[in-house]
Amino acid sequence: MHELLLFASVPAHQHHELLQQLAGLTAMQPRHRLERRLVFKAYRKPGLVTTRVGASQDVQGADMQRLNKMLNGGMYYTQVVGPVTKADFGPTSSSAMSASHDADVSMSGTDQSSYCYDNQPWRLEFRDIPEAGTRSAVTTRLMASASLPKGDIAVPMNAWGYSFVTEYMVEGDVFVQNDIVIFLHRVLLYPQAESQDSHGPRQQLPAYHELTPLERTGSYVLQAAITVQDGSNQEMMKTASQHLFGLREQLKSAVRLEQADRLSLDTRAK
Amino acid sequence: MSDSFTLPLRPLLEKRERPDTLPQEIAQINAQYGSFRDVTEESLRAKIAEEKNKDPWAEEDEAEKPTAEVDTTERMDQLYKRRAEITQFAMQAHMEAQFAVDFVSLLLSKHAATARQAELSMSPYLKQVAPMGSLNAEIVNPPPKSEAALQDIKTVSRGWRIQNFNAAANKLLRSATRLETEVKSETKYWDEVLAVKNKGWKVCRLPRDRQALGVQYGFLEATPIFRDRGLAALRRADDGSLLLDKGLIPQKVRTVRVRVKTQGQSTGCSKVSWSLPDADSIEGRILQARDTVYEEELFHEMVREARIMGSQGVTTRQNLIQVPVSEEQEVLLDLVDVDQGEPADTEMLSNEHDTIADAVAHSVRILLAYAHRQNLRRRTQPPPPLTPKRRHVPEYQLLRPVMAYLQHTAHVRSLESFMGDIVGVLKSAGLRCGFTSAPFSSVRLPKVHASVPKVETLVKQFLMPFESTFTGNLLTPESSFCVKVRTNTVSPPSGTFYEITVNLPHHPEVKPPSRIGLQTEAAAALAHFMLLDIVTTISNKGAKSPEGTDAGKGVLSWEAAYAHHGELRALSSSGNNKKMKVSLSREELTVQTYPLRGADVSGRAEKGKSANPRHQSWRSDSSESRPSLMEFVEEVSQDRP
Repeated sequence: MHELLLFASVPAHQHHELLQQLAGLTAMQPRHRLERRLVFKAYRKPGLVTTRVGASQDVQGADMQRLNKMLNGGMYYTQVVGPVTKADFGPTSSSAMSASHDADVSMSGTDQSSYCYDNQPWRLEFRDIPEAGTRSAVTTRLMASASLPKGDIAVPMNAWGYSFVTEYMVEGDVFVQNDIVIFLHRVLLYPQAESQDSHGPRQQLPAYHELTPLERTGSYVLQAAITVQDGSNQEMMKTASQHLFGLREQLKSAVRLEQADRLSLDTRAK
Repeated sequence: MSDSFTLPLRPLLEKRERPDTLPQEIAQINAQYGSFRDVTEESLRAKIAEEKNKDPWAEEDEAEKPTAEVDTTERMDQLYKRRAEITQFAMQAHMEAQFAVDFVSLLLSKHAATARQAELSMSPYLKQVAPMGSLNAEIVNPPPKSEAALQDIKTVSRGWRIQNFNAAANKLLRSATRLETEVKSETKYWDEVLAVKNKGWKVCRLPRDRQALGVQYGFLEATPIFRDRGLAALRRADDGSLLLDKGLIPQKVRTVRVRVKTQGQSTGCSKVSWSLPDADSIEGRILQARDTVYEEELFHEMVREARIMGSQGVTTRQNLIQVPVSEEQEVLLDLVDVDQGEPADTEMLSNEHDTIADAVAHSVRILLAYAHRQNLRRRTQPPPPLTPKRRHVPEYQLLRPVMAYLQHTAHVRSLESFMGDIVGVLKSAGLRCGFTSAPFSSVRLPKVHASVPKVETLVKQFLMPFESTFTGNLLTPESSFCVKVRTNTVSPPSGTFYEITVNLPHHPEVKPPSRIGLQTEAAAALAHFMLLDIVTTISNKGAKSPEGTDAGKGVLSWEAAYAHHGELRALSSSGNNKKMKVSLSREELTVQTYPLRGADVSGRAEKGKSANPRHQSWRSDSSESRPSLMEFVEEVSQDRP
């Protein structure tokens, strides 16, 4: 699948107004979305890679070649996305509580968050670096998503050769206009953890108001995305970008949607 | 400053102190008409009449002119002539203006300050003919005018001025009144627009006509052609009242009418016209427009759905959908104008199915609203990736659930009445048997689910296949039956199916057919199981008494010979062999006995012995008391011919 994107930066004071405008444009109420995003980095497990493929009379040449290509291909960062709700966040007072204490309280407490890490659904999102040298004025990149097992995701991800890097929260609203998914969102960072072990996703969520926006001014990002099943179908890609341009034209007086800097969306792991 | 400050626009005419003008007027009359002595009433009347007659004449003369038949060619000529005249006048005016310009230019060219400009506006001809600055103007003292002439000029100019003032005042006042009415109508218009907006209608600019306002009354989730029709312009009539301008869409109010036909005769019709509280108000008209667009969409969608239901006997005409419900009943749906929708009394046989028709009419509307909600749900979900294949919009489920419901009801009713009849027959024969029916046992009131509105879960129940169950006990203990009636018209296999399960311990080999589609087949199968059960009961009864005592007491014991045909026989040691035949139908239960010779079943009555075949039947409706089946069996079981 391919993804075609346009981005715009929305200052905080314009956020409310833009929400209204988008609601009018798409004739729907915004769908609020809160997502935990875990960043994983692929690494090569030592000893697994066998670059030598024996002699030339190898029978399984084609298979081995493909396997080798897969094993020695580029390494990428991937994201694991888990939807949460506001009710999942911790109570406002429990900022100082340790993880184990939290677990105790949540078993007995009444107003505690019902967040259960073991039931957290996950989705793997792979995004390639945007295609270079396209003349079109949209960001195009290869993408794939897959659902993952619930619960502690670090273990299976580790087993697949990914190591946990960091995590953050995305908060925003989704609109759908025909084939375009409009996501007006911003990135929130977790408070600086004092006792958090840095290797692994959090088991508990802090209070919502403790999250701080990555962008200090609190501005949002407007992302208009359209996915195309077959990226090699030029016709479809053209139609999709036409749709995006149509949206850009419609939103012209409100925001300026434009292509993103390719290298800023680089997901390759070096 | 007070608001009522007024400024007189008309010039004040000061009344001069005039000398009495009566003597002058008398003198004038005398001069004009002669002496007063000649004035009589008749002459005055004649004069008045003459004046009266004259006026219309003069008018008629003028009116006649345009009506005079003018030939088209003549008319063309006239037209050309007039046009030529107009151009001529224009040319002339142009010439004169040119002359004037030349004249002034020549005059001005004398002065150095204006010479350049004057040269520019001079015509080339004049430049050739007359040298620059060759014309001068000087002020000459006019000869003094006479006092009378001066007075005249003064009076005339004063008159002119007054006339002009008057004209200006009139114009001002007229435009003031025009503005006033304009403001009034504009206020009225905006008040009404506001009223519409305050009622909750969405008022917006028209996308194509940016100057006009429009009101959105349609349904956002409807099919695009109907969605786009849900917007009408709010235009202003001359008096400021609001006009709903729907463009090219006819103004008729249309609605879907449902009729029920039983055996070819109309037996029910849904209500067609609802009287809106005030149909002529703008709100009423918007409501009507909204209803019409909804009804037309409803019919459009039903026709679309009916086309894929052709295999189930649904037929469509240009403006009619026929849905068969049962063998004798069908539902007709059509789109009619509200004012002519009521069927004539002559074509209506009865009104007994009005309720059904109304219920169907309401259901399809509710289902369309449900489909709209589903559309909204689908639209606001993240879309699947773009593919060259276009997403097919599935037909809405409007007729299918209704048809399924009606068909299911018909099937369940008929089975229920069949069972009731059979049980009645058995009861009259003194047999205990009962059944319980659970119509629509599959429809359960849904659990409240937070993410889906209650209404939707409620409607959703009726889009599932319907199922009803009948359960009952048979005569022999431990034997029972269960019938499940399933109707499904939404997904194949469509139609109604009966699933019969029986528990006959005495006939373990008996298996009901797996899928029964016909009502008669299901009834026949059930009757057959009942018959088997009766046969078992009779043979069991004999077996109850110990075998050894049978012969001694002269009581025969029956055993099933051909249970599936309802045949039993009793062998007697004394040769009084008998055969019994039981038959069961929904009307009656019949038992016949024949004497048998020996063990030979095919043998018939003996020659010498009086073959007295006995016969007894039970009907559910007969009131006369008869021996019960068991008594009868006991009686015929006596070991005697």
